[in-house]
Amino acid sequence: MGKISFSRKSLGIPYTLFLVLFVVAPLLVLIYYAFTNGQGQFTFANLVGFFTNPNTLGTLFYSVAVAATTTAVCLLLAYPTAYILAKSKLKAKSVIVMTFIMPMWINFSLRITALKEILTLIEGNLAYYPFLNAVIGMTYDFLPFMILPIYNTIVKLDESLLEAARDLGANETEAFLKVTLPLSVPGIVSGIAMVFLPAMTNYVVLDMLYNSTYIMGSLIGGYFAAYNWNGGSMIALILLAIICLFTLLTRGAEEENSRGGALL
Amino acid sequence: MRKKGIYRAAVMALSSILLCTGLPSFAASGEETPEVTLRVCNWEEYIDLGDWDEEETIDLESGDIIGENSMVEDFEAWYEETYGIKVHVEYSTFGTNEDLYNMLTLGDVYDLVCPSEYMIMKLMAEDKLEPLSEDFFDETDENNYYINGVSPYIRSIFEENEIEGEAWAKYAAGYMWGITGIVYNPELVTKEDASSWNILNDPAYYRQVTIKDNVRDSYFAALGALKSDLLTSEEFLQDPDYSKNLEAEMNDTSPETIALVQEYLQDVKKNAYSFETDSGKADMVTGKVAANYQWSGDAVYTMDQADEDDFTLAFAVPEESTNIYFDGWVMLKSGIGEDAAKQHAAEAFINFNSRPDNVIRNMYYIGYTSVISGGEDERIFEYADWCYGAEEDEEEVEDYNISYFFTDEEDSEDYVITAPAEQVDRQLSAQYPSREAIERSSIMVYFNNEQNEAINQMWISVRCYNINDVPVWAWILTVCAIALVAVFGVRNAKRRG
Repeated sequence: MGKISFSRKSLGIPYTLFLVLFVVAPLLVLIYYAFTNGQGQFTFANLVGFFTNPNTLGTLFYSVAVAATTTAVCLLLAYPTAYILAKSKLKAKSVIVMTFIMPMWINFSLRITALKEILTLIEGNLAYYPFLNAVIGMTYDFLPFMILPIYNTIVKLDESLLEAARDLGANETEAFLKVTLPLSVPGIVSGIAMVFLPAMTNYVVLDMLYNSTYIMGSLIGGYFAAYNWNGGSMIALILLAIICLFTLLTRGAEEENSRGGALL
Repeated sequence: MRKKGIYRAAVMALSSILLCTGLPSFAASGEETPEVTLRVCNWEEYIDLGDWDEEETIDLESGDIIGENSMVEDFEAWYEETYGIKVHVEYSTFGTNEDLYNMLTLGDVYDLVCPSEYMIMKLMAEDKLEPLSEDFFDETDENNYYINGVSPYIRSIFEENEIEGEAWAKYAAGYMWGITGIVYNPELVTKEDASSWNILNDPAYYRQVTIKDNVRDSYFAALGALKSDLLTSEEFLQDPDYSKNLEAEMNDTSPETIALVQEYLQDVKKNAYSFETDSGKADMVTGKVAANYQWSGDAVYTMDQADEDDFTLAFAVPEESTNIYFDGWVMLKSGIGEDAAKQHAAEAFINFNSRPDNVIRNMYYIGYTSVISGGEDERIFEYADWCYGAEEDEEEVEDYNISYFFTDEEDSEDYVITAPAEQVDRQLSAQYPSREAIERSSIMVYFNNEQNEAINQMWISVRCYNINDVPVWAWILTVCAIALVAVFGVRNAKRRG
């Protein structure tokens, strides 16, 4: 009996099994339901239905609006923070970075519950500002996912490039706009992807903060509660297609400069 | 749907772990006793899980009642003692009727489940249920606690209501029941306002009232509000066929009505605090909202919680109509099959939960009202009196007659609770609705597929954002954003090329 040896390939078996069981198989079931009707016959009706129904289209629009606003707010908050952090000479830098990561260790529904109380104190009545609350809740939830990739790119920037820019006569603003900002694009793109996509579907935040309008995630739930598995599956599939498209678009920007600390 | 706080949840999680690890090993004892496995699926936190504190003892004059073990464990012990057969209960839970239905569709197998009346009707119509046996209705068997103890009022409802020519009673044994109404803060809301479904859409309570986040409850409330004038008119109330007419009005699914309901609920969405399933109770107790559309069992719980904080809440039943609902035990064909031993155990489980002391334990634990009135056994009325009866030194008292529930004698005065006057607008009226509230109650039937589809579509339309509502500035902004991304992309591509 020789010693037991693992080829590299066999190390991949557990993951392959996982992949087939929990990713590929459910996806096939999803596709099956999306393209059949209640009687199991093949149909495009669900697909056509999605793009002709003012409610589903409106929900898509609303989801994108919530996600885009959240992403923009996150970016505006995260970039200066990450920039200052990365440039500071503080010894305790890693501690400060830690304070941004730490909320992620606390259960998210607990954090939103706390946020609900804080917002009630500030706003008086939460239900007056459903859209604003959704954006605040999501920003609170996803901000670290925007800060970290940007911070990682900026902190790894080659300082000599900036020195060269200054030597060639650029002032601080020009150096930032022409060197730092373009070189941190991969981090920004990665951050956008990390925030925008989950924000389209994270309806728990809306539910908990009393926004009564459906976004994509809750719409799928609504269809399933109404026993319309076929319509729900089609919406899930369309969402998947949107995510794929988005990922392809952002990947182009990331590959351009791949030395950043992109997380995706 | 029915929650009793984090403490209960923790106890439940723990006990379910214990239940799992405590699986009996098959025939390990070497004895010859046959074993039956009973798969029960019930609402979350909808049965006594035991482990009460000593001080929680219910000290009725007829004896103390306390839940030491979970009801399921007690049943297993009782069944073996009574029938000499070992039974093992696999107890699991579901969150909504729709979840249960989806679980069954996906192939989960249970013997005994406890859905609400409309889901029972759906399962009946789809021929998925096993009828209760004749023995179950044998009143001479003293172990048949259900048939000997069920309230005559509830019994007649279960016998008179039919779907496709078959009475509910053939398949279903009631468990808990209740009505819908409005829990309100009397300092902010008048009783008159809370006694109409119109409160949901009342601009005076802008963003201060919550409504249920499910299509059936919302639909019922909307019908009540839209038909308010008709339903409260003398002519309608005096009609000899009042009950029948009321039920027809409250189950109206004509396309015109659905369109009106959609419009109404869209207004409610703009006016109400939120659509909620569970958070409404806490928001009511913490004072975030002034009124709350609630199921009576949860209303009792909400008022109890508020009382602990010395915060007074009240309960009103809308004048137009109230939705009376039932949760009942039904046996599934897919689980029971032809297995007579299993069916016997399932029916015994229903009977054990209908034994008056167990009824009291369950009611105390979950806050809802059992369909069992006890028959010869007076303990359930005694418990109601123990909960809500006035102390001897109480100054303002009022007699509250709930004989309709406990006896079938007309105009009986045998079951009257002398309660503190304020209780008549509070827990007591939610635990045992008044005769008047019951008279204007309506069942909401199971809608057929076509009606369901129309109503569900209406509901999704209410909850969705309509693309036609997108304001012009938002479209302009969208176009700008897309243009910006495009320009950025093209510039990048050029630089790369």
